[in-house]
Amino acid sequence: MVPSRIGPINVDFFDTEVVGIIGRNGSGKSTLLRLAGGVYPPDSGKISIAGTVSMLAGVGVGFNKNLTGLENTYLYASLMGWPKKTVDKHLDDIIAFSELGHHFHRPIRTYSSGMKARLGISVATAFQPDILLVDEVLGVGDASFRKKSEQRVRDMIKGSGTVIIVSHSQGFMMEICDRIVLMEQGEIVDVGDPKKMYLRYNELLNLQAD
Amino acid sequence: MDPNERKPRLRPMWSEPSLLLSPFAVIHENLQHRELIRRLIQRDLDSRFRGPVLGYAWTIIEPLLLALVYSFVFGIIVGRSDPTYPAVVMIGVIGWSLFAKCLTGTTKTLSTNASLFQFTKIPKSVFAASNVATNLVLSFISLFALVPLVWYYGIDIGPNVALTPLFLVALALCGSSFGLALAPFAVRIPDLVNVIQFVARVGFFLSPVMWTYPMLSSKFGDGIYLTLAHLNPVIVPITMMRDIVLGTSSGIPTYGWVMFASVTIFAFVIGTMVFRKLAHKMVVGL
Repeated sequence: MVPSRIGPINVDFFDTEVVGIIGRNGSGKSTLLRLAGGVYPPDSGKISIAGTVSMLAGVGVGFNKNLTGLENTYLYASLMGWPKKTVDKHLDDIIAFSELGHHFHRPIRTYSSGMKARLGISVATAFQPDILLVDEVLGVGDASFRKKSEQRVRDMIKGSGTVIIVSHSQGFMMEICDRIVLMEQGEIVDVGDPKKMYLRYNELLNLQAD
Repeated sequence: MDPNERKPRLRPMWSEPSLLLSPFAVIHENLQHRELIRRLIQRDLDSRFRGPVLGYAWTIIEPLLLALVYSFVFGIIVGRSDPTYPAVVMIGVIGWSLFAKCLTGTTKTLSTNASLFQFTKIPKSVFAASNVATNLVLSFISLFALVPLVWYYGIDIGPNVALTPLFLVALALCGSSFGLALAPFAVRIPDLVNVIQFVARVGFFLSPVMWTYPMLSSKFGDGIYLTLAHLNPVIVPITMMRDIVLGTSSGIPTYGWVMFASVTIFAFVIGTMVFRKLAHKMVVGL
């Protein structure tokens, strides 16, 4: 799914803006996001950032089924680079948001898949970085929790300095993005106004359909 | 308030420190992430011991049973009657399996944690280190399986016994250093893992698990074969642990120590250099 190579890419993301990345499957959106998050190294060139960066993706990655919700919370947070102090501060919020109640202190092998997803989203969205990277995480849990977590991501986006988001939901992207990066085959086709970019994107899709 | 205060500055995300400094860079990044390493160790220990009724007792029962079985079989074949032989074998088993687990575990570390490496920017060596540290803790607990035997033999243990963990650390460090050098290749060439597992199985016989250093030197005298045998970095630490715990003296020559130290340091330097150069590139898009 992730292309082996993207680029050359030259793009700036600024403070207080929400930038969307769109493109077909395999066009390099997630790879670009992971480069920005420092997860992947660039083969050449330079990536510079200012402030803390955190990726909202892979909900539940690193969870261990024998550990309790509480233990997994601390583990996940430290895997994402958040210090214990930060987790302590947000712990009540995480417990409340996950709606797990007393299950929070039980091993997650006893959880249903919905409960696991709720824990994952709660932890992943608990901490506010300066630069927030979002990679399609909104579709978990039942309808009411999905709505709740979508609202939570919106709040996070409001609180973050810079947001870079990958999503296939055109409505959501048009609503929140200030700019959109359109990618195709590992390269940036264009960057600009969301409406224009979606027009070009749909042209690209139609072109391929013909 | 000064508007420049707390305003983060633009800084490059990937700085490439000199390759020669890799050993120090790896030590530094692991010290920085010691909190995470502690959590990962706890996770591994907890998930291993929360299920079984006997829990941690297994780390003592296992080497105890293995030593009894080996010395029983060996006793039948060779007809040896050395009463401390079960303890000799047990120290060999603990030492060798620590080395082998650190070697294979570190070789596999990039594929074991592949899914994690798509989301986190935590240095990859941290996960290797936590695996090594977990194995170290388990081996250390296993050492207590020797207590009933030493008591049974009536051996007086001197203060030197405090040095045994150091030799465990040397074994772990050496095994994982070889693993670090192999890990970036093993993640793309799965066959390499099989090769290493085979080496670990053969190494069991080529290392002083069932045999001892004095057996080796009496067999080879002072010839070139004895000298070459010291290239096996587990010989010195396992023999030293036996000497310390059982109050024996195997007489490892100075050149043996020098060879052991050189192999270990060389492996660590090369291992960290290869790992730092290649590991982060190899996990992209796994």
